[in-house]
Amino acid sequence: MKDSPLDIPLPSIDKSGENKKYHAFVNLALILAAVTGIELVLVYLPFSIAFVYSVLIALSLFKFIAVIAWFMHLIYDKLILTLAFGTGMAIATGTYTALLFLLGSDRVAPVEIPGIVPM
Amino acid sequence: MSTAADASAHDAHHNLMVDNKKLFMWLFLGSDCMFFGTLISTHLIYRKLYPEEYDPTHLFSLELTSFSTFILLMSSFLMALAVSAMHKGELKSFRRNVCGVIFFGLIFLGCQVYEFTEFVHEGLTLQSGTFGSTFFLLTGTHGVHVAIGVIWLLCMLFYTQNGKVDAHESAVDAEVAGLYWHFVDIVWIIIFTVIYLIEFIGKTGGAH
Repeated sequence: MKDSPLDIPLPSIDKSGENKKYHAFVNLALILAAVTGIELVLVYLPFSIAFVYSVLIALSLFKFIAVIAWFMHLIYDKLILTLAFGTGMAIATGTYTALLFLLGSDRVAPVEIPGIVPM
Repeated sequence: MSTAADASAHDAHHNLMVDNKKLFMWLFLGSDCMFFGTLISTHLIYRKLYPEEYDPTHLFSLELTSFSTFILLMSSFLMALAVSAMHKGELKSFRRNVCGVIFFGLIFLGCQVYEFTEFVHEGLTLQSGTFGSTFFLLTGTHGVHVAIGVIWLLCMLFYTQNGKVDAHESAVDAEVAGLYWHFVDIVWIIIFTVIYLIEFIGKTGGAH
C-alpha cells in the first residue's frame, strides 16, 4: 500500500538524502542494541574494575553522542543548535565536577544522618 | 502581494536561519540537561558520601533494565523514521512509526512502574534514606518526561488523523517532538550506566 502524500506538496524534498539517512538510522539502531548488550555482559566478565568502569563510561558516551549526532540530526543542522545544546551540557558537566570537588573530597566530613553510617 | 507576505512570515520564523521552534527546543533541552545533570550529580555524590548505606544490587534487575534500555533505543529509532517520513510527506508512514514509539514508550513506563512497585515492597522508598530519595527523584523525573512525550505524540496522532496538515509546519513539529523524545532516550543512556550498571561492578563475581 502506497503512503498517502500530504495535502500541500512539500517544496523540494531531497528523497535520496532521506533514504541515505534511513540506512544510517538502521545501522545506528543495530549498533546501539549491540553496545547495550556488550555493556550488560561486561559487568559479568573477569576484568579489572578500573577497566570495566572506563569501558562502560566510554560506551555510554558513544551512545549518547551517536543519538545526538544522527537521530537528533545535529550533524545535519546548523552550528548554533550544537552551541545551544553544548552550553547546557557544559554547565551540567561543570556542575557535577564542581560538586565532586566540593562534596566528594575526602577532606569534607559527610553530615551524619541517623541510621546511616557515612564514608 | 500574498507571496511577499508569506515570505515575510516565513522569515519571521527563521531569524537565525534556523526555525524558531527548533531553536527553542534545543535551548530547552540544554536547560533540561542542567536539570538532569544536577539530579544525577546529587545521586552520585550521595553514593560517594554514604557508600555503605544501601546495596541495590540485590534489588536491581539488570535484565529488566537492559530490556527497558533496548526498548527506549528502538523507540528512538522509530521516532527518527517518523521524522524522516514527515520530511518526505508520507503521513501514513509517520503515523505508523509514531504508533510504534507510543507503544514502546508505554512498555518502558510499564517496566518502570513494575520496578518501582517491587522496590517499595522491598522497603526502598522516597523516605527510606538518601539512596531511595535520590534514586526515585531521578528515575521518577525521567519517567515523567517519558509520559509527557507519550502524551505529546498521542496529540500529534490526533491532529494528523484527518490528513489535512500544513506540510512545512508539520515537518518542523514532528522534528521538535522527535528532539524531545531522543533527549529522553539519551538521559536514560546515562542513567542506565551510572545508576544501574556501575553498582554491579565488582559485585557479580566478574570484575575485580
